[in-house]
Amino acid sequence: MTELFQQVVEGVGSGAVYASLALALVLIHRFTGIVNFAQGELAMISTYVAWQLVASGMSFWLALPVTLAVSFAGGMLVERIVIRPVQNAPELTTVIVTVGLFIFVNAMAGLIWSFTVKDFPQPFPDGGIDLAGVRVDWSTLGIIAVVAVVMGLLYLLFQHTSSGLVMRAVACNPASARLSGIRVGRVLMLGWGLAATVGAVSGVLVAPLLFLEPNMMGGVLIYAFAAATLGGFDSPVGAVVGGLCVGVAETLAGAYVDVVGADLKVGVPLVIILAVLLVRPQGLFGRAAVERA
Amino acid sequence: MTEPTTDSTEAGQVNAEPDFLKVAGLHAGYGQARVLQGLDFSVARGEVCAILGPNGAGKTTTLRALCGMVRGRGSVTLNGTELLGRSPEQTARLGVAHVPEGRGTFNDLTVEENLRIGAHVRTGRWRRGSAERVAVAADLERIYDYFPKLRQRSRQAAGSLSGGEQQMLAIGRALMLRPALLLLDEPSLGLAPLVTRELFEIVRAVNEEERTTVVVVEQNAQLALDVAHRAHVLEAGRLLLSGPSREIREDGQVAEVYLGVSVRSAKDGGAP
Repeated sequence: MTELFQQVVEGVGSGAVYASLALALVLIHRFTGIVNFAQGELAMISTYVAWQLVASGMSFWLALPVTLAVSFAGGMLVERIVIRPVQNAPELTTVIVTVGLFIFVNAMAGLIWSFTVKDFPQPFPDGGIDLAGVRVDWSTLGIIAVVAVVMGLLYLLFQHTSSGLVMRAVACNPASARLSGIRVGRVLMLGWGLAATVGAVSGVLVAPLLFLEPNMMGGVLIYAFAAATLGGFDSPVGAVVGGLCVGVAETLAGAYVDVVGADLKVGVPLVIILAVLLVRPQGLFGRAAVERA
Repeated sequence: MTEPTTDSTEAGQVNAEPDFLKVAGLHAGYGQARVLQGLDFSVARGEVCAILGPNGAGKTTTLRALCGMVRGRGSVTLNGTELLGRSPEQTARLGVAHVPEGRGTFNDLTVEENLRIGAHVRTGRWRRGSAERVAVAADLERIYDYFPKLRQRSRQAAGSLSGGEQQMLAIGRALMLRPALLLLDEPSLGLAPLVTRELFEIVRAVNEEERTTVVVVEQNAQLALDVAHRAHVLEAGRLLLSGPSREIREDGQVAEVYLGVSVRSAKDGGAP
């Protein structure tokens, strides 16, 4: 039983990382109806920015806010330059554009920082605490805490500020928002900036566990897609719940299903995506597809 | 031809500014389809003006051109300021509040949040201080007084409202802008006759109490003529005739061109 709890804790830890990248995907999808395949790569670039800052002597906890600010600006820039021109284009066009962005950003990272693996500093202390026989590493606790803080701040922003209200209005009905005098273009830029920031958190948290290299986020993105699909691509709460579920499912399958083991763990999100699309395409918290008027 | 000096007898007011809204030589359309082909009319300050005409005459396009949702050629001035060439967010900031066909409800937001979005232009900037916030709170109360049903449902998701309530919300949201010009596109669409009549009564009350200038596009000509001071009848993207509502109602030509059409299509199920 202790062993099971141990696995669940590990699962929640990695699930928190998937949750924050899934949240970034969901934010973009809510705002613009676009599925951003480049979300993981944007997070990877952010992680390199953090690495560069730390490598040049900055402390991690100072580098983090600077990285998040850079990510915010970068996300806004991507919206304005890459996404705005195809905002009203057919779905296939926007998919191709974000896939293209994926390849471009990946290559850029390789060009600047090379494809050799880099060590990313572990921001949390070694060791951990013992909770009724279950060992919880400080790093796992730290990841969960950081993600929880990010979620809490987002909730406050969206539910308790007038900017958040305006952002929700734009996500809900952009044409009508325009008629109320809201500068929708600016709000969409903010939305992309916000999503890039949330995504960056996942990159910075996962880098010490994996190794920092340009393809680092490929696997994480697949888990995040599974999380967003499970929770519902329209639901921020769903993204978080979905992320935690996917993390736990992945760990448990790896530990208890012999066929899966360590090698086939990456198959778990694909099975989840397939199962959700077959049984409940709108996800746990999403709404059944209603064509937007 | 418009006669700016004609009194709006129904409200008994004098039209001090007959060209508050002035539309001159307005052309507009969608891609290749040219819907408006040189439209001229004026609306006086404080007036309710109905735009009537058969389907496809260009009524909705006219409103969309005024608020910037479709591009137009010609000239549209509101109190001397040119509106053409501006985006909807810009015209909204100049005081044009458009209640679109389909109501434009923010379904996921609560009723009160919908109304607050309507006041966004007034409160959106940090430098507009607490005085404006107090004014917005007062306006919220005023809207609830016009539409008591909205007060009851203020914390409910707007998407759960009935069609009539959503139309009330759309008008309330537009009024939160404190508009100089209120544009209503087919407010009766899909609503029961009794609800529609109630809505038009409120529009009349808003016009009388706030002196808001209103342009309403409406299929239900009788109802629109009851509320409007003046009416402009469109046909095929051009102005057929203009005049005080009373005259339009009694005009034989209108009955034939417009009212006649609607009566016949109602009887024969739309077949000519």
